Amino acid sequence: MRKASVKLGMNLAVEAKELVKQFGNIRALNELSFDIKQGEIFGLIGPNGAGKTTTLRIVSTLILPTSGSMKVFGIDAVSQAAEVRKILSYLPEEAGAYPNLSGQEYLEFMAKFTAANPNEAVKEATEISGLGNRLKDRAKTYSKGMKRRLLVARALMTKPKLAVLDEPASGLDVLHAYYVRQIIKQYVKSHGVTVLLSSHNMLEVEYLCNRVALVNKGKIVVEGDPTELKSRYSSANLEEVFAKVIGYA
Amino acid sequence: MLRGFGNILIKELKELSRDPKILIGIILVPVIIFPALGAILGYAQQTAIEEAREPGILILNNDDGNWSQALIAYLNFNATISVLENVSPREVVDQGLLAANNSTQFIEIPAGFSNNMTKHMSADQTTTAEVNVFSEFAIGGIFSNLGSAGVTSRVYSFNRIVAPDAVLTTQSTIIKGEIQPNIDPATLSGLLLSQSIALPITIMILLTYSMQIAATSVAMEKEEKTLETLLTLPVDRFAVLMGKLTSAAIVSGLGALAYMIGYSYMLGSVTMGIDTGVGIDLVALGLVPSVLGYALLGITLFVTLLSGLALAVIMSAFADDVRGATALVGYIYPLIFIPSLVLMYLDINTVPFALKAVLFAIPYSQPIIASKAIIAGDYLTVILGIVYVTAFTLIVMYLASRLFATEKILTAKLRLKRRGFKRGETDET
Repeated sequence: MRKASVKLGMNLAVEAKELVKQFGNIRALNELSFDIKQGEIFGLIGPNGAGKTTTLRIVSTLILPTSGSMKVFGIDAVSQAAEVRKILSYLPEEAGAYPNLSGQEYLEFMAKFTAANPNEAVKEATEISGLGNRLKDRAKTYSKGMKRRLLVARALMTKPKLAVLDEPASGLDVLHAYYVRQIIKQYVKSHGVTVLLSSHNMLEVEYLCNRVALVNKGKIVVEGDPTELKSRYSSANLEEVFAKVIGYA
Repeated sequence: MLRGFGNILIKELKELSRDPKILIGIILVPVIIFPALGAILGYAQQTAIEEAREPGILILNNDDGNWSQALIAYLNFNATISVLENVSPREVVDQGLLAANNSTQFIEIPAGFSNNMTKHMSADQTTTAEVNVFSEFAIGGIFSNLGSAGVTSRVYSFNRIVAPDAVLTTQSTIIKGEIQPNIDPATLSGLLLSQSIALPITIMILLTYSMQIAATSVAMEKEEKTLETLLTLPVDRFAVLMGKLTSAAIVSGLGALAYMIGYSYMLGSVTMGIDTGVGIDLVALGLVPSVLGYALLGITLFVTLLSGLALAVIMSAFADDVRGATALVGYIYPLIFIPSLVLMYLDINTVPFALKAVLFAIPYSQPIIASKAIIAGDYLTVILGIVYVTAFTLIVMYLASRLFATEKILTAKLRLKRRGFKRGETDET
């Protein structure tokens, strides 16, 4: 029995159990639980204030849960946060780069913390970002799309076991958004990285994710394969599924 | 009538009145700093006037004639005096008789004073009598060393009553236990006035400017949205803090060095000016700091800057952006401005104990206290100041490391609300 549970733990990339997060009088997470299998792209979707970013921040060891547990590849994200940080990479929704460093310098700075071979990682990131010679320019000269490509490349360049991506293509024009999604999908396929992402964009989620969880008021209201969910709720898309689940439609 | 003017005006007033920077600049400064400054200036002036008006004067009477008794009687009329007989000025200084008589100055009536006065009064106008005024030099503020002028003016008024030009006064200054003949402490104080003003102003500029820069270190990470990424990297958070503080310390070190170069150059210029001007050599008088003094002042400046920078880094963690951080750091400025202004006008050794304790307790007073103490050769005060500021800095850095180790670095926020100053947490969900 014990062996089985250990084996299960090893197969799971993320195990969130009854997570509660209280900010003063506001309960951001209300006993939220979910599992992510290794190699999966798992999407958290929901409206603003549902608890997506809070969940991603707990997984990334940025904040502590008020109660409940969070494990990443069997490592406790609260008591062994330093160990978790070695195997994950987090891309915040509104992340930026240091404006007075060039893209290249930014990647080198980050790679020195996270990569066994920084030069190799920077080379990888250069390829992922597709920014070419523009990497030599200061980050403050980049467009929003270029900056996001740089940051996605930073998040993936070390081939982390878990990539936590908060709204990876948020606010990007159609071409930059397409580029970023393609990169994530290809990278996961070729390197077996597990991805936890959040998004408002249901099309993005449908395109990228193997499994999704719909979050509302700090709880997961429904979870499953996007195609299966659409079929279960007789809906044309995940947007409609979500509206039906929360009784909006 | 300008169309839309009223609407724009109301919007602008709302924006301005809700900006913490405006609160600091328009309300805090006039309402707190100016009255405090007024009280300090008033006190300083009052003290100086009282010292000049009611000096405790020690008189060495080495003359056994009637005229010396007449002069003593005149001085006794409007000052508190103590008279010693047959004691030399050297003995007064060596035996600590000034402090024993609670005085900072003494008048010597030399032997032959009465004889000379009698000759002068007997129509021999070429003969004059002489009294020698000795004053301890205080390396203090703008209003220091006015006491000697008060004593001299009393001798002059005696002169006017008796006969014009009958009594001549010589001025000597006691500096660090040595009598420096023919040096007027008021003149010397005037020559060192530039230090009394320039030092505190320069330190104010250096501290506020450095803290503004340091305040942006964490706030810039928040504003540019790089902090979250940084905190999820496999790096010790204390290393992040130390990296920020060390870079700030390097800048502080350069600042302190530049300051010391500028300061020694300024003193050099002052000394040169004095040599050619009124014939007083500050170096010979021991009123220019030694190499050890400069080194101690440099260390004081460095640790004070470091403590200010650490505090600025902590405060900036409570702001969302650079603008908010600079506004928050503004709340520390009264702790820099008020001691600087106080010490510009007053000698810390002459203020009441409570004010003295407050001035010593504020870390940002220490460079100004040290700059005066090194000239006086009072290295113990400087070393104690360095120990105190270092301890303060270590406490601040410990608090900063605690802050960096928790999620407070992301969620802590100081918010100015209409109903008052409230601390709260916030987070995007």
